[in-house]
Formats: sequence, C-alpha cells, structure tokens
Amino acid sequence: MRRLHLPAALGCLAALAACARSAPPPVAGASTTPPAIAYEAHVAAGGIAPAGGVLKNPHAADAAVAKAGEQLFSAMNCDGCHNLGGSGWVGPSLGDGRWRYGGADAEVFSSIYYGRPKGMPAFGGILGADGVWTLVTYIRSLPLPSDVPTESWEQP
Amino acid sequence: MPAKNYAATRYSGLTQINAQNARSLHPLWTFSTGVLTGHEGQPLVVGETMYVVTPWPNVLYAFDLRKEGYPLRWKYRPDVSSNALGVACCDAVNRGAFYLDGRIVYNLLDGHTVAVDARSGRELWKTTIADMGDGETVTMAPVVVRDRVIVGASGGEFGIYGWLKGLDVKTGQIAWTGHNMGPDADMLVRPGTFRAPYDGGVDVGAKSWAGDSWKSGGAPVWGWISYDPELDLIYYGTGNAAPYDPEARAGDNKWSASVLARRPGTGELVWAYQFTPHDNWDYDATGAMLLVDLTIAGKPVKALVHFDKNGFAYTLDRASGKLLVAAPFAPVTWAQSVDLASGRPVIEPAKQTGVSKGKVTGVCPSLEGAVSPASPPAYSPRTHLFYTSTNNLCMDYGAAHAAHLRATPYIGVDFAYHPGPGGNLGAFIAWDAASGRKAWEDKEPYPSWSGALATAGDVVFYGTLDGWFKAVDAHSGQLLSKFKVGSGVVGNPIAYRGPDGKEYVAIYAGIGGDWALLAGDTRSDDPTDVREPAEFMKDIARHTSQGGIVWIFGL
Repeated sequence: MRRLHLPAALGCLAALAACARSAPPPVAGASTTPPAIAYEAHVAAGGIAPAGGVLKNPHAADAAVAKAGEQLFSAMNCDGCHNLGGSGWVGPSLGDGRWRYGGADAEVFSSIYYGRPKGMPAFGGILGADGVWTLVTYIRSLPLPSDVPTESWEQP
Repeated sequence: MPAKNYAATRYSGLTQINAQNARSLHPLWTFSTGVLTGHEGQPLVVGETMYVVTPWPNVLYAFDLRKEGYPLRWKYRPDVSSNALGVACCDAVNRGAFYLDGRIVYNLLDGHTVAVDARSGRELWKTTIADMGDGETVTMAPVVVRDRVIVGASGGEFGIYGWLKGLDVKTGQIAWTGHNMGPDADMLVRPGTFRAPYDGGVDVGAKSWAGDSWKSGGAPVWGWISYDPELDLIYYGTGNAAPYDPEARAGDNKWSASVLARRPGTGELVWAYQFTPHDNWDYDATGAMLLVDLTIAGKPVKALVHFDKNGFAYTLDRASGKLLVAAPFAPVTWAQSVDLASGRPVIEPAKQTGVSKGKVTGVCPSLEGAVSPASPPAYSPRTHLFYTSTNNLCMDYGAAHAAHLRATPYIGVDFAYHPGPGGNLGAFIAWDAASGRKAWEDKEPYPSWSGALATAGDVVFYGTLDGWFKAVDAHSGQLLSKFKVGSGVVGNPIAYRGPDGKEYVAIYAGIGGDWALLAGDTRSDDPTDVREPAEFMKDIARHTSQGGIVWIFGL
C-alpha cells in the first residue's frame, strides 16, 4: 500500500522560499541538479585529486535562512533521527563538529540532497536545491562545542 | 523456538544447574559476532547445533557443539540493505530464529523473511514481507505454527499501517495479511467470529481513529508471538499509535497498544483487548504474552499474562480476552488503576499529553516502558512466579506536530527521562500473576533490559545493562553467581543440554537496542560522532561499551 501524505511542511516550504528572499540559483546555470562534487577529505590516489563541480551556498551565514532551516529540520522529520538541535540519535550528531562525509557547505548539501549509505534518505527530490541549502545553512549555524576527546570519571 | 515453547514461558526443565551449585558457574566458551549493535534475542540450540542470528547484517551462524571449540558448520550471509539502518527506529536488532522440520526461519532487517536448510545452511526461500519505502523494517522473531510462518513489521515511529502476515512454510508465499487497525476487511474480521470482550462493533478499527488517521497509525508488531494449540489461537501485542501527538488521532485508536488473538491458518481475528486506549505515551504492548494455567480465586483459569510498558501487569482469560487481574508492577502515574468491569484504565487527566497540553511532567513509566517489550519474562511452574526485568524511569513529554512523510520518522515529541522513586533505574522482579503482587525484587542501578530464564533447578538468569550476567535463587532472588560479560546485556538467556549430556546456559552480550540505553557516550565506534552523556544516566559508559559476544556457561 502506497501513501503520500503531502506534509504541511510543503506549505511552509513555499513560505520559506519567500522568506529566504529571491535567492540566486544554487548551481552555476539554471539546472536544478547539482554537479558531482569532490569530497575534499578523501585521499586522492597518486596524489591527484579528481576534478569536481563547485557548489556554493547562496544563503551562507544568513541568520534568517538558518532560522527557517531550523523549522524545516523539524518539518522534514530530520529531528526524528538526528534529534532536536541535531544532537544525534539514530543518526549521527550534527553538532559535534565532526563529519563522516565532510562538513563544508557543499559536502553537507550532497549528503542531504542525494542521501548517504546506512540510512540517510535523499531529500533533494522533495526539497529541491534551495530547500536543501536552507537546511545546510541551519546545520552550519549550530554552535560547535569545544572538542574535548577525553571523558574521565575520576575525581581530579 | 525463540521463547523455548509456544506458551512463551522461557522455562527449562533442566536441573543439573541448581540453587545449590550455581555458585560454581563459569564461562566455558565465547564467540565475537563481529557486530557492535544491540544483541537482543537468544541463541537457538537444536540437537547438536547452536544457531545464532546477529543484528544487521543478520548473519546466521551454525556452531557444532560436538567438537572442541564449537567450530562453525556453516554461516549464511544474506544480502541485507544498509538503508534499513535509517528506517529502523531504535537500532538494527534481531530477536531470533525459529526451527521447525529441518528449517531455520528468521527475518532480515530490510523487510525479508528467509528459510535456511538447518543442515547445509542453504537458502530455501526468501520473501519480501515489508516495504522500507513505507517505513517498515523487521526485527521480530517469527513463530511457525503447522504450515504457517507468522511475521510482523516494526515502524511505529514511521507511521506504518501495522500488520501480521502468515506465510507458507514450504514456499514462503504470503497466505494472509491481517492489519492491526482499519476496516474489518483489512483486519480479517469475519462476521460472527470476532468477539471483543469489551469494545466491538463494525469497523471499530477504523471508526476509533479520527478521519483516516488509522492509515498511518503505527501499531507495529516487533515483539513476540505465542500459541495455544488447544484453542488454536496465536497471541501477539501491537505497538504504539502514531504519531506521538495523540491529538492528531482522536479516539481509542484500536487496536494499537493491544493484544490480538488470531487463527494461525487463516489469520482470522477472534478477539482483541486494548491495554492503553488512545495511547498518549508511546506505550507499545509488543511484550510477550505468556500462556499459563493459573488458579485465581480458587478457580482454574487458562490465563494470558502480560507485563506492559504502561506499568500494569495483566492477567486475561486467553479463550475470551476478558480481564481478570491488572496491577502495577512499577511506579505508574498516567492511570490510577484498571477497571475490571470495563477493562479500561482509570486515566489521570493531568498526565494526558498532546500539542495543546505543552510539556507534561512526571509521567511514569517513561516511554522506555516499565519493562521493555524486548525483554521477555519467564514463568516457573515450580514457584508459580513470573520473572521480569523492569525499568524505573519517569518522563516529561511534550508532544509536537509531526508530518507524515514516507520513510521518514513520524514522531513529534520532546521528552526527557528522570529516575523513578528510589533512585535505582531498574530492577529484576518476581511476580504472582494470580494475586497481582510482587514476590521479591532485586534492584539494579541501570534500566534492566534482558529477558529472563527460569529452570527446574530453581535458578533464574538475567543480564544487566552494565554487563553482569546473573544467576539468582528463584524463590528469594538471592544472588548465586555473577560474571562480567564484556558488554551490557539486552539479550535473553537460554538453558540447553549439550551433546555430552551436560546442562549449559547461553547469553548474548552487546548493549544497544534502544538509543537511550547508549546514553550518548557509550559508543566509541565512530570518531565522527561524539556525544555528551545523557542526563538521566551519566555514567553507564564507565561500565560498558559496545560489542556482540555469545557466552556459554557451565558447571
């Protein structure tokens, strides 16, 4: 049995587009499908990095878009896996400053747009490029903790 | 079979290990499964072979118990989609396999049931039973009754349209599908044969939901199935109603959070009883239904005993579904009692949740349940007592709007856990289901998440979240022996007689099965995912970490 409940979120997505002002197209040219991007943390065989497209976040560091992205994070049920505030649940923490697939704008975009193995769904189809950039802007706005790798139970 | 017998009592008649000699129990053999996620379920011993199913990727191992070191006879490695890891709500668990007539039958997380030749390890058939695109995964242990394999799907957090299916054991073909809610036709309710003891009526499975909210109402089947051959009825519990905001689905939401009795051959629904009408708190009823003949008020009763997430232990007449006893076995604040005449809980209005209610504080039990349905109880006919793990957690629950978007979580809640009264987060208890009284209790510092095993040696076995495997006296709860097994225990102990005629006890170690149990900082397997410890259980990571290990103990 197949069902598609068009979420209320789609309505709010339209509103988001408006609130994000008339953002420039996310990708060079009018195509809504972004080019494959190089993942900068990969080790390049032979020391030669493959060519890749360039993606630029049209909303980078825009606080209003980040706020809209926070609503979208709940509306798209991202918090169902990554928890409120992206602090991690079944899905990994997005607020610890550490990244499986890279934490640069374009890499986070790629993770959300196309999905990732082990369960990250592809949201590019339902959200489109601008919706995904809105989420990227929110995720990149999360405050980073001071990264302390040591946890101790001994009294100092 | 997964629960030792169709009555699901997890009782072994073996007596070599008893209350007098259990102090000298010691580990004899271990095996790393190579999988780090939660090891629920239990090994299966048939003749001279032990079968072990791992969590995803659901490898099936067959160990030769005749040879030193128990080498593998074979292993079966199915092709299971890794996408299932993002559709399973709570961890990539598997609750075990069933053996019948030379076949091992079990479920794969990505929505398949497989039958494997027990001798050769060759796949006999593989059937797609669930649709990950609709949020369905499969974690439960199937039960085979005659020529039917009975299976269900998880997905109460994804707004599935919950169901139970009967497959042909020889071919794997789906013979029937009975939904847990919806119109009578979908539920396999046939005129004149469905007799709900309290709430019947045409299409009650659809009419007790606002609008068409039943279509995405959850009621998954991720727990245990039991069977009474005399009555020819299978019994199983359904999970929570979806979403977590009850105001999105006004009505009783039948038959979520319920026990259903069906005919195994045709799937026909015979009776149903709802433990938590209009579930406000994620109180799945997927815990085991133990079928035991009890004497209640001087009368012999064919009983069904169930410890619910909602904190009440229920004793029903398993022929009719009529409620006989309901008493709290853990702190309960959402209801004052259960009315035996109407079968309904007497609700505490201040603990009703919903978006309009905001944050509701002090709800006991928490949505982890007073017992996890993943932790099946045991019953000893020698002591007439039931044995179960319990959790002592309460919660604040703030419902939020949720949109149903296929294959994404359909939840909508902001919650926080708090330790219940007494400060211990769990316990292991013995329960008299005829009177509804606790016989004894062993407090545990952490939520207790393992299944129970009772034996004719009057020893009861269970494991703890901080990684102890314990043997206690069935009459008193007194500790007889304990051993630290390397990771927290969320699996179920078994006893068996080896090819050498000696009694052994086996258990999985491997914390997981629920992300709350990992408390944020228990996992260390992903350097790109580092979290703070959870507020309610700050130091569990001091005592355990992940790791799947099969343990065998003996004298």
